[in-house]
Amino acid sequence: MTFTSSRSSRRHFLQRLALAAGTAGLGPALLQACAPRGGPQAGAAKELVISSFPLYIDTDQPGLPGTVKRFEEATGIRVRYSEDINDVRQFFARIHPQLAGGQLLQQDLIVLTSWMAERLIRLGWLDPLPLAQVPNAKNLRSPLRNPSWDPTQLYSLPWQSGIAGIVYNIKATGRQLRSVDDLFDPAFKGRVSALLEMRDTMGLLMLADGKDVSRPTWEAAQPAFERLEKARREGQIRRFTGNDYQNDLLAGNLAACIGWSGDVAQLALDQPDLRFVVPESGGILWADVMIMPKGARHPQAVAQWLNWVYDPRQAARIAAAVQYISPVEGVREVLAADPATAKLAKNPLMFPDAAMERRLHIFGPLSEEQEARWEERFARITEG
Amino acid sequence: MLAPGLLWLTCLYLLPVMALVPLSLSEPVDRFTLHTEFRWRVVNYLEVLRLYGPILLRSFAFAAIASALGVALAYPLAYAIRFHGGRWRPLLVALVVLPFFTSYLVRAIAFTTLLGDQGPLLQLLNALGLREGLNRLGLLEGGRLLHTPASVILGLLYNLLPFLVLPLVVAMERIEPQLLEAAADLHAGPMGRFWRVVWPLSLPGLNAGLLLSLIPAAGDVVNPRFLGGPNQQMIANTIESLLLVQLQAPKAAALTLLLMVLISLGVWHLRRRGFNELPLP
Repeated sequence: MTFTSSRSSRRHFLQRLALAAGTAGLGPALLQACAPRGGPQAGAAKELVISSFPLYIDTDQPGLPGTVKRFEEATGIRVRYSEDINDVRQFFARIHPQLAGGQLLQQDLIVLTSWMAERLIRLGWLDPLPLAQVPNAKNLRSPLRNPSWDPTQLYSLPWQSGIAGIVYNIKATGRQLRSVDDLFDPAFKGRVSALLEMRDTMGLLMLADGKDVSRPTWEAAQPAFERLEKARREGQIRRFTGNDYQNDLLAGNLAACIGWSGDVAQLALDQPDLRFVVPESGGILWADVMIMPKGARHPQAVAQWLNWVYDPRQAARIAAAVQYISPVEGVREVLAADPATAKLAKNPLMFPDAAMERRLHIFGPLSEEQEARWEERFARITEG
Repeated sequence: MLAPGLLWLTCLYLLPVMALVPLSLSEPVDRFTLHTEFRWRVVNYLEVLRLYGPILLRSFAFAAIASALGVALAYPLAYAIRFHGGRWRPLLVALVVLPFFTSYLVRAIAFTTLLGDQGPLLQLLNALGLREGLNRLGLLEGGRLLHTPASVILGLLYNLLPFLVLPLVVAMERIEPQLLEAAADLHAGPMGRFWRVVWPLSLPGLNAGLLLSLIPAAGDVVNPRFLGGPNQQMIANTIESLLLVQLQAPKAAALTLLLMVLISLGVWHLRRRGFNELPLP
């Protein structure tokens, strides 16, 4: 199985709000949420600048340093880890004037959704990753090798992947949900949301129509577009969201929505009535990947970072915190060996079994022209 | 004397606006690099008007309703501060601007909690037995307040209130107490003093407040984003989407200029009808 696809934003809304406020009012320069300092040699040559989604890595806990700090202590490389990507399209809008003008970005490594990585590869705006210096790259799980967004596997390594499916509050729905059709049940009118991430929302609806999402066509998508538009017009769909569906779920504004697997695992700690289900017609599998922009200043540090996070012991720490599907072979065994995390090793949303994998589908690539057409149509639905 | 002001206006306002004109008449050549070619595409304007005309109308309608409700609230508030505030007047004015010490975005997010389905406002309406009635009146949608037109208008109203109150207070501060005494000497009752003295002399403040609230309300992006649903998005949300998501910079520029022209025409029309400048002392 190869992965393509998507997810645009992450994690708890108020943290994202702070980022959004900063982005809107203060400018990206103030968004550099520096990681803990204090490696043995914090010099310009020993520096690594990373941009990623908010709360997408394990952080420092009392007596248990997070991945960034452990890496700094082990290598002496100072990491500036910024959680400044709220939405991949907005991030693209931010970086593209520099990349298109041949200027260098300050980032050495960026975590972006695979379809955006594919776009950047196509535009020639990425450098190949220094994989020759990343022996742990051999730990990449085989289903993720030579993916459709980067067939040569020169430019990207997956960070995490996950599933887009249905999230619901069983108390609010009063019953188990099983299919995408349940989202259109008039009983839930005005208490349903869908994702602004087009490939996830459209992918799930197309699967419900029995369409092949691995080779998406404009014609095949029409029934899904029309169904979505009708549901929006009639008020069945309350909102189209990024990660903010989480707050609406916790606040009781939503009974059900399209959401992402890892989020629910953590939300359920606050709201035990929440459930995640891969619809009968199938779920959408997405991946976020690490890429190196053209002219990145510290490729050696990038190589060391990639090698570090592809060590199963380190990757297990990240997986335990974010609860998405780790791309690193051996993570399950590390988690299973520790009584504190053994339960996670049995979680089918983190480690899909064969039966689950058969139900997961990958949204195939769209040509530049197709993408423009799809996004215009989708935007006109989501914005009324 | 005018040179610094003109230089400021030219560099920071006129030049960027002028740069939008050729962009709005261009055609995208390369979608991802935002490279465009100037081709006199007047059709860009027609297309955005056809596609987004209803959203433009919705934006102006929301702004007008919020401003009208704002006047209904702000006028008595300003009147009370000016004529009954006494020594508490400075404190009362400070309280009006207090919300501005918090980020606009945070205020909108806070409103999502207040207006949510399990939020205190709906619980209060429930307790008072008003929820059903308001639902029948169409002010709630399916018993919901958040993500409806009412919640967007409430958000706009809350954020624009200081823009209405402050110019009104300033205008009323300029009303000499002797004028009211003279009116009383001439046998004008409280209503007569209000309609013949206070109201006409406060009109410059009202007009200025209306302009200060209508213009930002029509271009608001935050309240519809957080308090509205997909059927309540306003024109600034569309411009943002055209620019950042659809990568259609020429259409975004055309819609921006169209919005500016419509607002300018509105302001010009209001000024012709006697709207004056901000009544600074």
